Amino acid sequence: MDTSMWLALVSIAVGTYLLRLLPYVWMKRSLAKKQMEGGIGAMPIWLTILGPTMIAAMFGTSLVPIHSDAVSWLATGVGTLITFGVWTRTRSMGLPILCGVVAFGIITLLLPV
Amino acid sequence: MNTTTQTLAGTPWKQGVKDAIPLLGGYIPVAISFGLISIQSGFSVLETILISTFIYAGASQFLFVAMAASGAPLWLVVIMTLLINARHVVYGPNLSPFLNHDKKWLPLMHGLTDQIFALSHSRLPQLPEQARIGWYTGAAVLAWLSWIAGTALGAIAGDELTQRWPLINDILPFALPALFLVLIIPRCNNRLWSMTIALSAITAVILKMLGYPNVAIPLAALCGALLFYALKDQRIVGGH
Repeated sequence: MDTSMWLALVSIAVGTYLLRLLPYVWMKRSLAKKQMEGGIGAMPIWLTILGPTMIAAMFGTSLVPIHSDAVSWLATGVGTLITFGVWTRTRSMGLPILCGVVAFGIITLLLPV
Repeated sequence: MNTTTQTLAGTPWKQGVKDAIPLLGGYIPVAISFGLISIQSGFSVLETILISTFIYAGASQFLFVAMAASGAPLWLVVIMTLLINARHVVYGPNLSPFLNHDKKWLPLMHGLTDQIFALSHSRLPQLPEQARIGWYTGAAVLAWLSWIAGTALGAIAGDELTQRWPLINDILPFALPALFLVLIIPRCNNRLWSMTIALSAITAVILKMLGYPNVAIPLAALCGALLFYALKDQRIVGGH
């Protein structure tokens, strides 16, 4: 890589880090300031809503299979149902994910495309 | 989210590592693909590993190597990659009520990816305050190292790996939607939140299928939030 490419790489790396860091620092200071003034430090409501909706959106984007054929969608549907079913019984993280991946894998391997 | 405080069986960082293990199913195959594509785009093994180490943001890394290889102006490359990562601005503020004033949180923000945010948003409220930094360190460092290791593997032997075990790319990534499902489903504890979550997820699926993967997450999240605001005062869907 030449110097300009290295410069671009460093700019992206620093920029990405600041995108993650600065809003956190800003909110931390804002909450502390509200507490100092005698109020209750609370996040804006829109921010507390965006957190879960971002995770739901990540779930949605990750659901779309790499190969958009019927078997992949079937495997995705079954894997999701199995994950949900095991979660309702265990309320844990590891086992539902493992069962979901295994179910997804079995359908992907066994059914012809 | 469930805010019941849980006691930990082991040390916090070990619990963080354990909780982050499902992430590897999604990280490693994608990192292998990135390593492979970066080499094919003309970057060296060392440069490829450094990109993953310091940028550490999947979609923008793919865009960076693709645009750089196509000879796009570098200022445009920087702007486009940062625009893709702009969704990260809501992650830190959402976690800030659960983090103490320890200065170690500042460097740890480098590890605040989509997946670590989702995991932390669900798990941090359940942990005792003194255990949170250890837990986050364990989870974030495992995810970061797996991303770097996967990239190195892809850069050095990606071709051979994907030819010998093509299913690595096909099956393991399902761990990510399974993880997100397990993280978000406890939030669906009333009709308002269930509808909000469902709309966000469905919109994201549609946007991704229509070929807009980079705007799918922020736009779908915004749609869900708008629905929440539109319905929150309606008695029929209940409060939050």
